[in-house]
Amino acid sequence: MTGYIIRRILQLLPVLLIASAGIWAMIYAVPGTPIGAIVGENATPEQIQAAIQRVGLDQPVLVQFWAWLKSAVLGDLGRSIHSRDPVLDLIMLRVPATLQLGLSATLVGLILGIPVAVISALYPGSWIDRSLSGWSALALGVPTFWLGILLILLFAVQLRWLPSASTYVSVFDSPLGALRNTFLPALTLGVYVSGIFARFLRASLLSELKADYVRTARSKGLKERDVVGRHVLRNALLPFVTVVGLMMAAFIGGTVVTEAVFTYPGIGRLLIQAINQRDYPLIQGVILFVLVAHVLINLMVDVLYAYIDPRIDYS
Amino acid sequence: MSGGVQRSLDLARRVFARKGALLSILYLAAIALVAMLARWVVPFDPVAQNLMSTLEPPSTAHWFGTDELGRDIMTRVVYGARTSLLTASGAVIIAGTIGVPVGLVAGFFGGWRDAVLMRIVDVLLSLPGILFAMALIAVLGRSQLAALVAVGITGIPSFARITRAQVLSLRKRDFVMAVEALGGSSAYNMFRTVLPNSWSPILVQIVILSSIAILLEAALAFLGVGIPPPTPSWGEMLRTGKSYLYDAPYYAVLPGIVLTLTILSLDTLGRTLAWVLEDRHELAEEAAPDRMVP
Repeated sequence: MTGYIIRRILQLLPVLLIASAGIWAMIYAVPGTPIGAIVGENATPEQIQAAIQRVGLDQPVLVQFWAWLKSAVLGDLGRSIHSRDPVLDLIMLRVPATLQLGLSATLVGLILGIPVAVISALYPGSWIDRSLSGWSALALGVPTFWLGILLILLFAVQLRWLPSASTYVSVFDSPLGALRNTFLPALTLGVYVSGIFARFLRASLLSELKADYVRTARSKGLKERDVVGRHVLRNALLPFVTVVGLMMAAFIGGTVVTEAVFTYPGIGRLLIQAINQRDYPLIQGVILFVLVAHVLINLMVDVLYAYIDPRIDYS
Repeated sequence: MSGGVQRSLDLARRVFARKGALLSILYLAAIALVAMLARWVVPFDPVAQNLMSTLEPPSTAHWFGTDELGRDIMTRVVYGARTSLLTASGAVIIAGTIGVPVGLVAGFFGGWRDAVLMRIVDVLLSLPGILFAMALIAVLGRSQLAALVAVGITGIPSFARITRAQVLSLRKRDFVMAVEALGGSSAYNMFRTVLPNSWSPILVQIVILSSIAILLEAALAFLGVGIPPPTPSWGEMLRTGKSYLYDAPYYAVLPGIVLTLTILSLDTLGRTLAWVLEDRHELAEEAAPDRMVP
């Protein structure tokens, strides 16, 4: 097990290294001088000097990359050109909002997706299975930004129950305020992931239902709901955990479109702002942050899966 | 060659036999036709402004109403179809011409080539697709070409992986080994023996990627980093329409219907093809995590 984890980490290192080299090289690819991309075109001489010191712009390219990587690993992602704040601080301010949205969307997805999958799998090929599959296809096919607009039209413009633009209210500060502001974006994203969850779990359930132990359970006279509830669902949920984990990884930064629909202040909106303001240190910082988070959560999902399924031998 | 024609006809018959796929093909054909004949289909200019008639609700003159600059929304939807279809074809071409050979070489040779190429593919997958595209656009600047290239590059991993998996399943088959034993070059073997037998998953992938490309292009435009205005784009229309939800709800709703139906049709077609060609009934589960757009 430990060997497996170490091997996975060793496999990830080159990926992280190449990807961060790509992110670092951005400042050389954009128009203008690299120092301009780091501190902005109207920076003071002191700021320019400090940046040159920090990343060693007078040094050979590899030395510069190493200096940048070293400060990045130590948490120094430079300063935003626009606000002059440290990039890492700006990102950390947005993390709770993105986490709250991602987790609530996952919850909505599970609440909508699991019943759909279980009912479909119990009556495969029936009209109810076909209509639920149609629902999943719809959930996956409707662009989130259009669904978000429709939900705003219904709940904010017509019914006036919820605000059309959401802000971040922590669920720990004000549960009701958090619900008011997170419900629509979480529902928008949740409908989408419920489609993925439902399809995956249905397929997983159907393949488990064909297994020998199910025939044994049935032949010993177990009620169908016990066969499914006690045996099948447990086994089918194993691979399903992976999919839920992958979705959560994708939600770090991947919620950018939904955040834009509801002007929700998460990491995605920070990136859009940074791109619009050509704030390259901030762009680099956000992308690097999302990259590392994405890769690490994926790794954790793999490890968790190996841990909860003792049948898998990774040696 | 006639065998190929026969097979294509046979495939078409089996796809057309499914009601959902037939409807999807009819819808997509209508969109493509309207996009090509845009000038004759809609009487207005997609970019000419008319500030005397802004945000007019749908009427017999303007079926979808007019936008904030007095342009006919239906006209812009029709021309927006061009943008979507061009992006989809361009992205598929970029992703296919890079991804398919990468998958071929990685799967055929294995070893260090496989390791290196697949690590590079992993790098492309290390970010959610839309963020990868946004990062590329941040570097390239916002333009029609940048949007196309960004969407295309995002599609490379799926082509590479699917081709590689197909090649691995063919690699040790007798007819491939025979070509090798007879002294056929690796290039000949890859492109003339393995590739022609790999076309079904690639075809399915082309349809799926078209859907993802159209969605991604619209999402980028919705975020304000896609194809720059005044070029009509469905995503851009939703972005602007969202500012007028109280005065002109139809503005964001109607183009969204056309976009959604396009995505749904391509998805349905992709699933049907996977079903008919490969008996893969669980295709969506494999494709899903790759396509994350929200």
